[in-house]
Amino acid sequence: MQQQSLAFRIMIWLGVAVLLVWSLGPIYWTLASAITPTVDFSSRPIHFVPIHFTLDHFERLLGINVDRIGGVEVWAQFRAALFNSIVAALASTIVCVAIAALGGYAFTRLSFPGRRVIFIAVVATLAIPGYAVLIPLYRLMTSLHMVDTFLGVTLIYVSAFLPLSLWLLKSVFESLPISIEEAAQLDGASRLYILFRIVLPLAAPGLTAAAILTFLGAWGQYAVPLIFSPTQTKPLTVLIPEFATKNFIDYGLITAAGSIAIIIPALVVIFLNRYLISGLLAGSAK
Amino acid sequence: MTTVAAMASERKRSIGGNSDAFLGVLLITPIVLVMAALVFFPLIDTMWDSLHRINPMQPGTPFIGLAKYTNMLSDGDVNASWINTLIYVVIAVAVETVAGVAGAALINQVKVGRQWVLAAVILPWALPGVVNATIWLWIYQPGAGLLNGILTAFGLPFENHVWFNDRTSAIAAVVTVHIWRMLPLTIVIVLAAMQSIPNELYEAAKIDGASRTSMFGSITLPLIRSAIAIAMTNGTVAAFNFFDEAWVLAGPSLDTRPILIQIYLEAFQNLHFSYGMALSLVVTIVSLLVSLVYVVRVYRNTRLD
Repeated sequence: MQQQSLAFRIMIWLGVAVLLVWSLGPIYWTLASAITPTVDFSSRPIHFVPIHFTLDHFERLLGINVDRIGGVEVWAQFRAALFNSIVAALASTIVCVAIAALGGYAFTRLSFPGRRVIFIAVVATLAIPGYAVLIPLYRLMTSLHMVDTFLGVTLIYVSAFLPLSLWLLKSVFESLPISIEEAAQLDGASRLYILFRIVLPLAAPGLTAAAILTFLGAWGQYAVPLIFSPTQTKPLTVLIPEFATKNFIDYGLITAAGSIAIIIPALVVIFLNRYLISGLLAGSAK
Repeated sequence: MTTVAAMASERKRSIGGNSDAFLGVLLITPIVLVMAALVFFPLIDTMWDSLHRINPMQPGTPFIGLAKYTNMLSDGDVNASWINTLIYVVIAVAVETVAGVAGAALINQVKVGRQWVLAAVILPWALPGVVNATIWLWIYQPGAGLLNGILTAFGLPFENHVWFNDRTSAIAAVVTVHIWRMLPLTIVIVLAAMQSIPNELYEAAKIDGASRTSMFGSITLPLIRSAIAIAMTNGTVAAFNFFDEAWVLAGPSLDTRPILIQIYLEAFQNLHFSYGMALSLVVTIVSLLVSLVYVVRVYRNTRLD
């Protein structure tokens, strides 16, 4: 019995090892390549572990010592794109979670005409892929002169991620005991006082989950900014593939930029995984 | 009956009934405005315009009925992209489901450091699709790429093999990247269902002398069936939405072009707006119908039990 159990455990650990190599292998390779000198890319057979160490690629990206490396200045582009990514992702997260929280509370606890219909209509758009509205949206944004503005792209992200946040937050509000709110009401607290001082603090884990999902979603968008943020507000996701031109692909630069783009999602997964998973589960069970 | 009770309790709850209604409308106004302007209006616009000829290069927007929809049937590029998309959907959903259940079962057995394993497994999903695609572009690179490097290290003749030269390996390469990103979602959904199975069921089966495989077949699988259906629905919608990785890895190449890239090319490069809209509506409907199949099948199965 003990014997079989040992064999079983070894099998499990082998399987987990395969799973980890599959998940982390490509990320390891990116980080390893980002610190490999360009010259070493042409050595054969390739080295699975870097034999020389360099920060050249990061220095080019971040504009440090560019004269020594060859003087090509990508820092200006990279800095702008990093800034744009952060602004668009943060702005859409804040706006999306804020209006989803207010609306989610109204849909849960307040009665007004059309409550059910509007809620169902908004959540039903989860099933509609974004590209179904992309073309009219483009004409709308063009006529409002909002193509390539933070306002335009933020609004689009909010409209795309709002249904998920709303769905998630409504289920969180529903799970809160109503007796607390009734007690506060009897003590003469106003609806808004109850919402901001009692309900929202209790719903903090749900708000975190909604914020994480929105942030990661906006941070990783590609097709939308490709169309709506082509130059002035170009994010990292649009910039990085541009390092790969038809004639020359600068793998050092791509892997270094990729390593930086990985940092934020990796931090989220490491420190906020609990919220991420609860959000994913609530979001997928639609 | 229950509605009456609910209404009564609602009336009791909202002491200042009218002010509550006013506040409610006020609080949902931002949502209604955003969704109406950026989703519902464009959606109706899409439906309406797909029946008209809209092309910035041509004057007027005459009504053309379903012409765009019938054009589609004889459009070689559209048909080729449809076939690619269907291949992606079938491969991605099949692999994600099998590997996702296996991966979840594995992680469910891990007692020490499970949250770290889970964090590592989720990471590919959390990364931007484009970053994933560039990572894999580098892995697939013929000369210095990791894939050829590993194959060569095993003594196989892959030193300068180009993966995007022939259609089969190009499709395999592209769909692998998609699966790399989407597999974590299946694992998370299925794992959550597995963790909610009460341990007593397994204890009882063990007393009856059931083997691990028979317990998996007769306890685990039936109880995670609806989770599998949810995961398959997500996987299907994601595979129909496939754009980022295919675009970065292979651009507009017809060998790997999914239907979404076809729409992008038609609308934003050829400026055939209304044709693009008709295509996007068809994709939306097809992806909804296919997802519905899983849901219906699962409901029927669970009802028979």
